[in-house]
Amino acid sequence: MTREIDLGILFSRSGTYSLISEAKRTGALKAVAQVNADPALDIVFNPVERDPQGNIDAYAPLCEEILRDSGARHVIGCTTSWSRKEVIPALERMDGALWYPAPYEGFEASDRIVYAHACPNQHLLPLLDYAFAQFGRRSYLTGSNYIWGWEINRLAREIGSRTGGEVLGERYLPLGTTEVARIVDEIAALKPDFVLNQLIGKSQYAFLDAIAELRRSDPFFAEGHCPVLSCNLTECELGAIGPSAEGVISAGPWFRGLHPALPGNGGREDFGSSLEAAAHASVMTLAQLLNGAPGAEALSLSELLAQRRAAELGISPRTHHTRLPVAIAQVRAGAFVPLRTGAPVEADPYLTRERDPAPVPLRVVK
Amino acid sequence: MRRRLRIPDLGGARAAILHRPHATVTALVRQLQAIGLEVDCHWPDLPASARAADYLFIDVDTAYDDQFPWEPGEAPLPTIALVGSEAPGRIEWLMNFGADAQILKPVGDGGVYSALLIARATFDARVELADEIDALKRRLGQRQTVVQAVAVLAARGKTENEAYEQLRGMAMAWRVSFEDAADRIVAAAKPTHQDESDHG
Repeated sequence: MTREIDLGILFSRSGTYSLISEAKRTGALKAVAQVNADPALDIVFNPVERDPQGNIDAYAPLCEEILRDSGARHVIGCTTSWSRKEVIPALERMDGALWYPAPYEGFEASDRIVYAHACPNQHLLPLLDYAFAQFGRRSYLTGSNYIWGWEINRLAREIGSRTGGEVLGERYLPLGTTEVARIVDEIAALKPDFVLNQLIGKSQYAFLDAIAELRRSDPFFAEGHCPVLSCNLTECELGAIGPSAEGVISAGPWFRGLHPALPGNGGREDFGSSLEAAAHASVMTLAQLLNGAPGAEALSLSELLAQRRAAELGISPRTHHTRLPVAIAQVRAGAFVPLRTGAPVEADPYLTRERDPAPVPLRVVK
Repeated sequence: MRRRLRIPDLGGARAAILHRPHATVTALVRQLQAIGLEVDCHWPDLPASARAADYLFIDVDTAYDDQFPWEPGEAPLPTIALVGSEAPGRIEWLMNFGADAQILKPVGDGGVYSALLIARATFDARVELADEIDALKRRLGQRQTVVQAVAVLAARGKTENEAYEQLRGMAMAWRVSFEDAADRIVAAAKPTHQDESDHG
């Protein structure tokens, strides 16, 4: 007998990072449609959606509302680390679980959350390995003024200092601001080997525009010298950035054109970005865990993930993080072109697996 | 001064928990294992082998001195207090026993990682400070020796200031502390006095 199961969806459809959250929402709804059309599964999902509109204070109450007013125990949602931290108390109070399909800075392993996108040993570490080998060890660090940028750049500084790297400068901008001139002037004066950029939304777009202008006016920065690196730029923002995105190098679990997409996608590849793919994989994985197991929708997340098939689907019962492939790609002619790819690696959210995290063996893409 | 946190090597580190079987222990163990530590739970006594662990968690609600194979204030490893009751008597016990970090009960979904970092940094700073105090106490105790050494050198026709500078020069040449150099001077001077009196 088919079971109808409520599934929470909590993504912002407006606000400074709406392109990113819309991509994930698209992936989640694609998976819901796929599950509901699949006669081999004994469940159908009924999406229960709330829109925090990019307002940080709306996430916790709306998450609580989903868990209180519907039968949903699982919610797919959140974009920033800040919003993820905000909903944890609501999840605890209402006995819910969050599937979080966004890259983040690590150092968390909530019993209530599945981390379905990359953490630093799956994005930053391989990206730094690549940058140190290809461009040099003198970096400039920048980001939006909150936990993601702070922690990623702290890690970059620590890892760099262990291997003789030098941080020439580090500067942050408030979320949403486009006042990037000071940072760009500093980069123009310091001439680093590369820039690690953790700016978000409009700040990043303004920054990339200003760097493109610098490349036209200063020969040192011409022809892709001193590239801008990112741990979270995906295809979903390329349209908004336009030609200024040319040359940006990003790390992620998947880029369009790579085969296959993520392990949880079950062979499907028709996604606009890894964010969409990770949200799709989250819903598909949940469907696999609930299928053929009446009553499993009432299990706690840790009970659900203790099943052997959760580990087979790539989710660690110890950390709730996902085993993911690693790719490094560069924007060329408006699309990401892979530079390096690597086999799936276990997430190491606290970077305790190896003191000097071993470089992910990456394959040069011909 | 701005401190840069040294992040301890937690992968494969050992944590000992002294707490009766309880949901608090379950939550604690889950967090510790997610971070990458190995965990041993003990109750009601802490075996001497727990000294070899890297971190110790204690239940302040029920703890008493005899549970531990060391004296209050002398824990040989970073100690994290699990505080439930905030009754002043329990806090007084904790102040005497000493802890490097604390977590309020009930233990939920987080808090352990930051407690580990704080406990390690506090413990290391405490050990370093104790060593420094020992060294300073030793040097204070050697004040009399320094005065005697300066007197010995001054007796050879130097002013007090010159004798003091000479002693400093000797310490540098011998690559020993000022106080150790004074010790040598005084020790070398003693048999001479002895000889003189014997043959006088």
